[in-house]
Parts: sequence; C-alpha cells; structure tokens
Amino acid sequence: MVYRRCVQLLRDSSEASDLMQDVFVRIYSASDRLDMQSPSSLLWNTATRLCLNRIRDKHRHGLDVDTSSLLLNIACADDEQTDYETKNVLARLFSKEPESSRTIAVLHYVDGMTLEETAQEVGLSVSGVRKRLRGLQAKVKNLEVK
Amino acid sequence: MIPDWKIERFLTGDLPEEEMKKIQNLEATDEIFAQRIKMLREDNRAILNKLPFETLSEKMERARIGSNQKTLDFSLVKLASAAVLVLAVALVALISQRETVVAGTDVAQANGGAPAQVALVETQSDTRIKGMEARMEVWKKTLAGIVQMNNLDEAREGDEIQLRYAVPEKCFGILFSMDGNGALTLHMGDGEKAVELAPGKMNSLPFAYKLDDAPHFEKFFLVTSQKEFAVDEKDIDKLLKRNDVKVIGFTLKKVGK
Repeated sequence: MVYRRCVQLLRDSSEASDLMQDVFVRIYSASDRLDMQSPSSLLWNTATRLCLNRIRDKHRHGLDVDTSSLLLNIACADDEQTDYETKNVLARLFSKEPESSRTIAVLHYVDGMTLEETAQEVGLSVSGVRKRLRGLQAKVKNLEVK
Repeated sequence: MIPDWKIERFLTGDLPEEEMKKIQNLEATDEIFAQRIKMLREDNRAILNKLPFETLSEKMERARIGSNQKTLDFSLVKLASAAVLVLAVALVALISQRETVVAGTDVAQANGGAPAQVALVETQSDTRIKGMEARMEVWKKTLAGIVQMNNLDEAREGDEIQLRYAVPEKCFGILFSMDGNGALTLHMGDGEKAVELAPGKMNSLPFAYKLDDAPHFEKFFLVTSQKEFAVDEKDIDKLLKRNDVKVIGFTLKKVGK
C-alpha cells in the first residue's frame, strides 16, 4: 500500500522505495505518540505528506518533477499548517491534530475522497475540511471547493 | 468504481464491516474487479520480494537507537510495542499473502523442536470463561516456571510456548500462527479445517513447541465461527476478512537469542 502510494505520487519506483522506508521510519520514530485507531490512514497520510515534501523540495531545487500540475501546485502551496517537521511537532500528526491542508487537498482532489470521507480521514468536520481547502484555494490554481 | 485508496484499505482489512462486505461481494461477482484485486495481491508479493522486510527493519532499528540517544526519558518498551503493532498491521497485506506452508498437525516437528509437555498452573485449568468472547492465552516456560505472556511481549528462538483458549459457546475453531518469514503453522485444527470446540473451561493444547529462528514476530490467530470453515494456506486474508468468523490475535515480538 505504502509503496504503491509513493509510486503513484512520485512516479519513480526508486524514489518510491526510498520514501516508503522513510514512512515506516517516521512512524516508528514517533510511535510513542501515534494514534493507531486507523493504521491504514496513518500510513497513507504519512506517505502522502512525505511525497508532497519530496515533490516540493525537488521543485525548489530546480529538479525535474514528473507529476501533474495539480499535485505540483498543491505540493508547493505555502501552507502554514504543514511545517510540522521544522517545528518538531510530529506528535500532532499522530495524535488528534488534523492533517495539513496540502494532504487534505490531495485526499480530496487527487484521491477523489468526498468531503465527508476526507473529513473522517483527517479527523475534522466537513465544514472544517471545506474551510481548510478554501484557505489553500487562494494559493493554488484549479482548486474548486464545492 | 471503487477508488484506489479504498481498495488498499480493503486489502489491509481496515474498512468498516459494511464496506468490507460490499467489496467482498463485488470481488465475488465482478470478474474484472476480482482480477484487479488479484493483481494487487500479486503486486504485494512482488514488492515484498523486492524490498525485504529485513532491510527496513535495520533502518528502523537505527532510528530507534538514534531516538533513544536523543531522548533520555524515552520509553523503549512502549516504542518497541507500538512499532511491532504498526508493523504487524502494515505488513498483514504483504506478508500474509506470501506463499505459506501449512505444517500439518505435527507442530512441534514443524517448528524444529521436540514435543514438550508443559505443566501449566493448576489454578488456571478450571477457570470458567468470563464474558462472551473467545480468549487465547500464551504461556512461556522459563527456568523460574511458567509465565503468562502479554500481547507484544518479547520472545526468543528456542522459547517453549504453550497456547490455551476458551470459547463462550459451542463453535468451530482453528488456531494458527504466522512468523516473520511469512510461514504459517497450524496449532489446532483438522488439517486445514476448523474443529468443533466446547464452551467453558480454558483448554491447553496437548503440546508446547519451541519458537524457531524466524525474525521479527510470531503472530497467533484464534479464529472461531458458528459454521464449519477451513484456512486456505495461500490466502489467509480471505479467512480473516470473512464476516462470519471472529478473530483473536496475539503477537510476540521476536528478539535475538
């Protein structure tokens, strides 16, 4: 699941296998704080977030990024909610803190989850998801919040 | 059209019961969808072959050591337990779909150890089952005596393990384990078929067995149902995902000798 998710977003099997290991290591490193109620969600969302970071970093460094413009725009969106690593608050990701707006956007726009499914996935209300997406919409083209 | 993310949850068994049933029905009736699921299961096996768990395990162990050095008050036990839990769940879809070997009923031989009778604590032998759920207990023989193990406890190669179970009502049951190599071992059953179980007392299996050198974990499954059933050695998930069975899991974390 994790490997396929990484391949789907990165379109590179080598990078995907590298990132897949990072996903497990990240979760393992923060395992004293993780919420295991839905392990699939935890793995899926962590993989999504790390892939977005990878895409964003490659783009910032001027490297070619083989991905859709939508995903690239979401990955590179300036989202104040996403800077978990630099703030060293990984715990939020694994407790009841909602996911970053970028991840929420990928779940909704790329994965095709409904607003209700997205809300359930990230532990927010539907209106909360809508609000977060609208916040990101101002920074990302082609995001239509219904 | 079932989206990819939902199919992935289906493969890991991490969907609400109603949705699991819906997709299972679709798999049974829609040839194209069934083929899609089959391909994903084959892909899981290929990924596991290409990216063996051992590599990941080493990397995670290094991360653990690094974390411990940085954080003095870090709880190693909690970390290890949670990590094993994460791995057990995350790898179910991968590992359980590998080629497995049902060893038959001679469990002791299958595990490379001689049959060993372990005398369990007498006070447990006539304990009536509490509540309405089936239970499984795992005991380990040590120099100090017989100790009951908790889920996610550590175990080593050569440890003698005794399994016990109780069911609240008459039913069919099977007890098997899967190790870190993906090998399936049957501990209780008529070949691959479930046997009829009587309700009430805790029952000890008639033999103990020694853990072999399989890495990472040994996970035990007590599966019960009101109907007769069998485990398919090539597709354990199929049994575990069935709506008409109850599954109790118990994981031992394998550590060095």
